[in-house]
Amino acid sequence: MKDFMMIFISADYGDLGLSPEEMQTRMGKWFAWNDKMAQQGIVKGGNALTSDVRRVSGKERTVTDITSAELKELVGGYYVVQAKDFDAVQEIAQDYPDYDLGGTVEIREIMVFDQ
Amino acid sequence: MEQPKLIDHLFRHHYGKMVSVLTRIFGLAHIETIEDAVQDVFIKATTSWTHKMPDHPEAWLTQAAKNRVLDIFRKLKTEKKHLPQLSSGVSAIALNELFLDTEVEDSQLRMIFTACHPKLDPRDRIAFALKTVSGFSTKEIASALLTKEDSVKKRIQRARRAIQKKAIPFAIPQGKELPKRNDSVLEVLYLIFNEGFHSNRKDMLVRNDLCGEALRLCQIMLKREVTRSSDGYALLALMCFHAARLDSKVNANNEIIDLMHQDRSLWHFPLVKLGNQAMTKAVEEGVFSAYHYEAAIAAEHLKARSFADTDWEAICTWNEALYKLQPTPSVALNIVMAQIQQGNFEDAHSRLQQIEPADLEQRAYLYYGTYSEYYSMQGKIEKAISCMELALLAVQNDAERAYLERKKKWLLKKVEPST
Repeated sequence: MKDFMMIFISADYGDLGLSPEEMQTRMGKWFAWNDKMAQQGIVKGGNALTSDVRRVSGKERTVTDITSAELKELVGGYYVVQAKDFDAVQEIAQDYPDYDLGGTVEIREIMVFDQ
Repeated sequence: MEQPKLIDHLFRHHYGKMVSVLTRIFGLAHIETIEDAVQDVFIKATTSWTHKMPDHPEAWLTQAAKNRVLDIFRKLKTEKKHLPQLSSGVSAIALNELFLDTEVEDSQLRMIFTACHPKLDPRDRIAFALKTVSGFSTKEIASALLTKEDSVKKRIQRARRAIQKKAIPFAIPQGKELPKRNDSVLEVLYLIFNEGFHSNRKDMLVRNDLCGEALRLCQIMLKREVTRSSDGYALLALMCFHAARLDSKVNANNEIIDLMHQDRSLWHFPLVKLGNQAMTKAVEEGVFSAYHYEAAIAAEHLKARSFADTDWEAICTWNEALYKLQPTPSVALNIVMAQIQQGNFEDAHSRLQQIEPADLEQRAYLYYGTYSEYYSMQGKIEKAISCMELALLAVQNDAERAYLERKKKWLLKKVEPST
């Protein structure tokens, strides 16, 4: 078994102008997905990120504050899950609720030096 | 359990959890909205469960609480107060975290500390804790605290207002403040337990739940290193020792059975064992509180195979130590009782004369009851009867009155042959 990170990239619900009812339905799906993974015992951790972004970049260490509205693609959070391989995680990621909003799940394997 | 009772029990159990978790998300400022929302979940559950009980009622309730998050968010949004960021589905990851068992316990611990905050009126603390931490209805609290439902409502309202006005944080205290705040929590748990253990209400389920809640909350306190204390262990031991006897204290007709006549085979051994384990930890530091001595006294009773085997000398010693910490007339009476059982009537008499029955307030009947025992043990039955009559005049609770009446009858029978 290996550890993989599922990184969730999408726009902010608020910025997409979703109605409260739509948000509620989606939250329900997120809860259900989390419960399903929890029951399978594959979740090792996860975090949600707030939508405030401060970037420090370049040789000059230029600082930029960005609001979520300026970004179509924002890393919103991640889960670390235990799985056999990429195919298995891809299967898990089928239940991600926000594909229809243009959301993306990026699957990355967590590096370990343990031979 | 029949279904309505099972639902009541589940609600009591989950109400506090749900309110605590939601308070962690939205803050104490919105506690009223939160409690209304949780109440609403239960109303919905009652209607939908009458048709069919879900397979996993607890999971059903957790899910319902999660679904409420956005409802509350929407409701509060119009008020534009400090609100959490709930702008994406991903935030469900963070919310979900709060519904995990360990985090639920953390939230409940915060709620316990809030309810037991020294800035709240002591009387309001218990009512608020029973409502918000333990999910009792105002009606149940009123009957447990022997007060009117209206005054319970007022106490809870006053506590809520004080929490907001005094900006009490929803947090587990740290540093120097912690020991004092810990004491205040233990005191409230002790009182909750006693309401369950000493009250004589007919509804055993509520009584067991009161004791069970106090035990459960005490265990939550002991689980965390920061809130752990030897006093806490002693209190847990005390509650276990008392709770072990809960089933033998009253008979099927809800009549009080005194220690002498309790069926000792009904005492619940696993609780005694748990109490012993807690006691071992409680004495490690060598500093003893009133809980330690009370637990030691309760343990002496459990150790005795029969009433006649009771080590009254030890009980007397523990009570004397307790009296040094808490010089109350009830403790003094317990010393007298132990002295009477040992046949030490002289000391018992001088102690009795030092006690002012009025200081015992509602429990003044215990003074006359003890005096009666003092005479009857010496064969002075007629004097014992007149003391029992005084006790009957002072007693206020029906079950206790019935118990005293039975004792009086027993005394009268003893006097008959000689007349």
